[in-house]
Amino acid sequence: MTHSSGEWRCLHRLFLPPPEKFPFPMTLTCGIPSMASSSPKYNSNSLESSSIKRIPKDGTKWEQNEEIPRLPGETSITDKEVIYVCPFNGAVKGRLYVTNYRLYLRSVELDPVVILDVPLGVIARIEKMGGASSRGENSYGLDITCKDMRNLRFALKQEGHSRRDIFEILTKHAFPQSHNLPFFAFVNEEKFAENGWMVYNPMPEYRRQGLPNEQWRVTFINEHYGLCDTYPSLLVVPYNATDDDLKKVAAFRSRNRIPVLSWIHPENQAVVMRSSQPLVGMSGKRNKDDERYLDIIRDANGQISKLTIYDARPSVNAVANKATGGGYEGDDAYPNAELFFLDIHNIHVMRESLKKLKDIVYPNVEESHWLSSLESTHWLEHIKMLFSKRIHLNKRQHLSTLHKLVLTGAIQVADKVSSGKSSVLVHCSDGWDRTAQLTSLAMLMLDSYYRTIVGFEVLVQKEWISFGHKFASRIGHGDKNHADADRSPIFLQFIDCVWQMSKQFPTAFEFNEQFLITILDHLYSCRFGTFLYNCESVREKEKVTERTLSLWSLINSEKAKHTNPFYTKELNRALYPVASMRHLELWVNYYIRWNPRIRQQQPNPVEQRYMELLALRDDYMRRLEELQITNNSKISNSSTSSASPSQMMSHVQTHF
Amino acid sequence: MKLLLHPAPRSREAERSLEIQGCSRAIERKKERKKSSALFMAFPAHPQALIQPQSRSYGADRAGAESCAAFKVEPRGPGENGRPKEIAVQRQNAAFPTPYRKTRTIQHRVTGAGQGLCLVAVAHQPFGKDPVTILWGSLCPVLLARVQLGTAAIAMEFAELIKTAKVENVQLSCPGLPPIKGTLCITSHHLLLSSQPGGNGEQSTVELWLLIRNVDAIEKSVQNLGWYQTSRTNSSHRDTRTASSLGTITLKCKDLKVLQLEIPGMEECLNIASSTEALSSVDSVMMMYPFFYRPQSMKLKDGWQLYPLQHYYQQIASETSAWRLSCVNGDFTICSSYPPAVIVPATVDDKVLKKAARFRQGGRFPVLSYYHKKNGTVMLRSSQPLIGPNRKRCQEDELLLSAVLDGGERGFIIDTRSAQAAKQARMMGGGTEPKSFYPHWKRLNRPLERGRPLQESFMKLVEACNDTSLSMDRWLSKLEGSKWLAHVKAALSTACLAAQCMEREEACVLVHGAEGTDATLLVTALAQVILDPDCRTLTGFQGLLEREWIEAGHPFHCRCAHSAYSHARLKQEAPIFLLFLDCVWQLGHQFPFSLQFNEHLLLVLFEHTYASCYGTFLCNSEKERCLCQVKEKTHSLWSWLNQPSELKKHLNPLYTYNALVIWPSVEPQSLQLWQGLFLRWIRSSQYLDEAWAEIQRLVTSCEDTPEGSAGRTLCHSQPDAAYPLTITGTANEG
Repeated sequence: MTHSSGEWRCLHRLFLPPPEKFPFPMTLTCGIPSMASSSPKYNSNSLESSSIKRIPKDGTKWEQNEEIPRLPGETSITDKEVIYVCPFNGAVKGRLYVTNYRLYLRSVELDPVVILDVPLGVIARIEKMGGASSRGENSYGLDITCKDMRNLRFALKQEGHSRRDIFEILTKHAFPQSHNLPFFAFVNEEKFAENGWMVYNPMPEYRRQGLPNEQWRVTFINEHYGLCDTYPSLLVVPYNATDDDLKKVAAFRSRNRIPVLSWIHPENQAVVMRSSQPLVGMSGKRNKDDERYLDIIRDANGQISKLTIYDARPSVNAVANKATGGGYEGDDAYPNAELFFLDIHNIHVMRESLKKLKDIVYPNVEESHWLSSLESTHWLEHIKMLFSKRIHLNKRQHLSTLHKLVLTGAIQVADKVSSGKSSVLVHCSDGWDRTAQLTSLAMLMLDSYYRTIVGFEVLVQKEWISFGHKFASRIGHGDKNHADADRSPIFLQFIDCVWQMSKQFPTAFEFNEQFLITILDHLYSCRFGTFLYNCESVREKEKVTERTLSLWSLINSEKAKHTNPFYTKELNRALYPVASMRHLELWVNYYIRWNPRIRQQQPNPVEQRYMELLALRDDYMRRLEELQITNNSKISNSSTSSASPSQMMSHVQTHF
Repeated sequence: MKLLLHPAPRSREAERSLEIQGCSRAIERKKERKKSSALFMAFPAHPQALIQPQSRSYGADRAGAESCAAFKVEPRGPGENGRPKEIAVQRQNAAFPTPYRKTRTIQHRVTGAGQGLCLVAVAHQPFGKDPVTILWGSLCPVLLARVQLGTAAIAMEFAELIKTAKVENVQLSCPGLPPIKGTLCITSHHLLLSSQPGGNGEQSTVELWLLIRNVDAIEKSVQNLGWYQTSRTNSSHRDTRTASSLGTITLKCKDLKVLQLEIPGMEECLNIASSTEALSSVDSVMMMYPFFYRPQSMKLKDGWQLYPLQHYYQQIASETSAWRLSCVNGDFTICSSYPPAVIVPATVDDKVLKKAARFRQGGRFPVLSYYHKKNGTVMLRSSQPLIGPNRKRCQEDELLLSAVLDGGERGFIIDTRSAQAAKQARMMGGGTEPKSFYPHWKRLNRPLERGRPLQESFMKLVEACNDTSLSMDRWLSKLEGSKWLAHVKAALSTACLAAQCMEREEACVLVHGAEGTDATLLVTALAQVILDPDCRTLTGFQGLLEREWIEAGHPFHCRCAHSAYSHARLKQEAPIFLLFLDCVWQLGHQFPFSLQFNEHLLLVLFEHTYASCYGTFLCNSEKERCLCQVKEKTHSLWSWLNQPSELKKHLNPLYTYNALVIWPSVEPQSLQLWQGLFLRWIRSSQYLDEAWAEIQRLVTSCEDTPEGSAGRTLCHSQPDAAYPLTITGTANEG
């Protein structure tokens, strides 16, 4: 009996992991034949698989050298034996390579091989951990904080200051801006079939919207960024406002960011405008030109008696801004406008919220009180606020309009324009963070064009990049100052909102989750010029379009990988997502993607199957077209065959 | 009396008019002969349906039921000699099913129930020779369920319950849908609302067709709108007063939807409410709708023999000869909750089984639940052994279990209780297999919640989901507070453990808790979905449900008597089957291509366990089903589901056969709230439905000809399911 009980204990240890780790830590799953196909070996890090995948799919030629992948233009700098302290699988011995683009680790052991492939741009902070005298295994080395929700830890030998060189090299190349080095984007020599810089050109985009027309004109007043240095050179303004008027208005708007047109409704001509806050100040200054300008905007719509102004800030913050010379449009000065506050918090609140979120998901997911700790991060709540909120009633509002106010945030903006047929002006303080979020989300809801791959690229390029969302400050590209108060995940939040929408409308978006993740990955990587710098004027000065590649080049060269197989083209349907907390989910595939237990559930076959489906769909569309041609005569003859798909298609086309 | 009704599905139309005519006729007749004890035919389908006049006198006794010691039942009807039988009525508070297996005499138990009294008549005679009926029913003042020996016909007057059969101008509102005005009718089993026939020909009729059994709770409120006016003006217009009063009934359904009816007239409102309440609490199985439902397109006996155990046995027999099909329980005397045939080790004969059964609670001796073809290991299930405080042992039980194992093999016993709870069970006569007597079995405890805590968790979750208060800032902690996802996690990981023992350790597994009818079945069924690709097909899944839930004796009637809204005192309700469905949904969510069926099938199953027009989920065990002649007198859910038109709706278009074991992740972030069920009536499923229709179209298009595909027709298989909450606007309109 004793003998057998000993055996039992053995067995128990073998396959019954402690309950808190149950079930199936990696040690159990690997080696089981049935799992082999669905679980990616021993990888602690998903960039491994994605980097391997990238080799054939990128269309770029990797220079195979020293067995590490290299992009054209990428140069190797150093390499070193280190121990990678993986939070999931323990210590892994390997060789760390540093290039001017990436940090790459390959384990010494080949089965299973652990690979880590991190663009240096992702690194937010490099710290030395432990000292020469510190004891304990793997206590001496480097701790690297990344911008994409993970930390990397490398242990080195304590003898001979072994980490000094690697620390200095990493710091130098991870933060090139702080060391007078160029971004990798400027030395990148990749070639792509598509040129992503051609995706967005303001003029064709405004033409697509039917502009200019009798009410709206294109102005080149900002051609040399003389009016406003953070705006694009080409602006759309009311026809009845002269360039002189604009200059006068600019004086009354924070950083000269005057109200300009973002989007016009093709049917009811209601517009979405964006600007910064008016410079009201403590004394409650007024500006006749600004007041008249807003009235012109209201008139351009023709159908409304009042212009709706959405101030994205909480009303308290708006009032507080008066102290620093800002403020909001008061009742007396703007009798023809209705003002609503949308209660969206500022960049600092968002940054703290994301930090809390990272704390509960990396490296280990907070298990015991997962949902309440998720709630305490308020991340989803902030997402919800972007979509909608209950509004504080301004004293001028009547109860009769109350029911319309249930929808707020981006949904309210979209609803006001589409259903309310009213022009809206959106601003926050400076009009480059919350304003960009609101206008771009509202446009995404209103205009199906922005739900295509190219359309979304245009949207990002227009509302975010050209209108001066301060990517350089918010992300801190190549900047060592990790504690900079200007950093904030504003753009990430926007992408999260887009993901939430794509969850609720699975067929409405041409792009898939991978597309969004790719954008976020290269938001930090500095491999492309797309997100570099704060505004168009600086980008022009740095000749970004000439000297760097666009992220859209990469994406558009391999569109199939980023296409949603279930996309159904629809024109002009406004989407209103449900913004109740109950319907928002945490984007597990992004925020917790480094956790191997998550990845296990997302085996590659999902992507493969999507590709198959995509092929199927193309095939189907082709056959449908063929059928349409052959059936043309039949349809004209008989009106009864309602089941014919070609007729249905034509019906669909006429309907929209 | 003819009702103006709009076109409905043809199969139901005839049946409905029958039902309505029957009821209205009943009411007319009631008026005609008020005091007479006339016999009245409630349903053409049951010509023997009779009124028992004594019922009223008995009902009057309701309040003072304690004093009731005996009453007379006079069996009347064809085939009877008319000799009255004295039957003692014994009052017990024990909730059924009590283990009446040993009872030899005719015995009646009267138990207090929420609504009136509940009569449980257990007539126990050897099955097959003398017809026996077992029945329980509510003894409302006007309702009596009567047992007729010999014919098992039921005397019952639904019509007496219906105080107001029809009300005009009733407004139906449900969240997210514009209110509908129409005529409301109550029939014996349905609430019908048909929108008023307007001159507008285009306007389609929206109909409510609600099974009264589906009503979980009724809330009524009456507003006397005219009262102040009349009193102020001092007028004596009593009529205007009643006419202007308005009653609101909130119907909270077992499938979690909430409907609101605004009924003009206070009296009508109260009548409708009390009628619905009375009809929904009819507890007698044989008076439930499946016994009256006769769709024209289906034949009665279809679908009942789709998944016989014999068939499953043959699959095993083709692999190994170590197992045999035993009919030891053929007359349900060995175990009242087992089916007549069970699979047991071939080396164990029936005599041993009989003795082993006596050592297990409820007679549920270990039987085969699943045979893992890959390595020949098996999963068994049973109830707890009756060790008791004196550490009893039973050689036959030990023999039975050791017969499962080959020589040096070892097995695992997964106990769904904590080690402490298992120990405590000894004091009540139960317990768990001691190591000394079962040396080759290793015990593992994985406590799973069942019974009341599970039901309360369900109620909390639904309450949180329906909390429409505008500040939903505490949603996630409410969700966590309900603990539902923790139950899902526990169930999935226990099933994984069982699967792991078989797949990885190549050991046999015995699963049991206490009774072995709840958590045990949850674990065995779930493990099979994880392990066996055949159980992930549509037919395989139906077979699994038939084997592991229905035939295995999960007491559906007790567990699903009430859903999350009911205010009634909890008896034996527990959403254990719903938990199983949720776990399967999680599997489907994590492995989107591995289940042949989709979420919709799971929703249909959920609905039909709580209220159904099919007999599949009726009763608590095969024995009861036999006695109630469920298989003869009701239709099977499977025969409806397997009609090609229905089948299509329940297929997962992305399915590809996956021979692998699907190991789910049970990390908290991997488990999602099943929005399709819990937020079904709150969210708009329109876009997701569209998406699935699109995916369906896409995938099937290359198999069918393009003409055959559904094109852009969006399939809303639940016409009342898609209440769009969001505003869908076409910007181009106008």
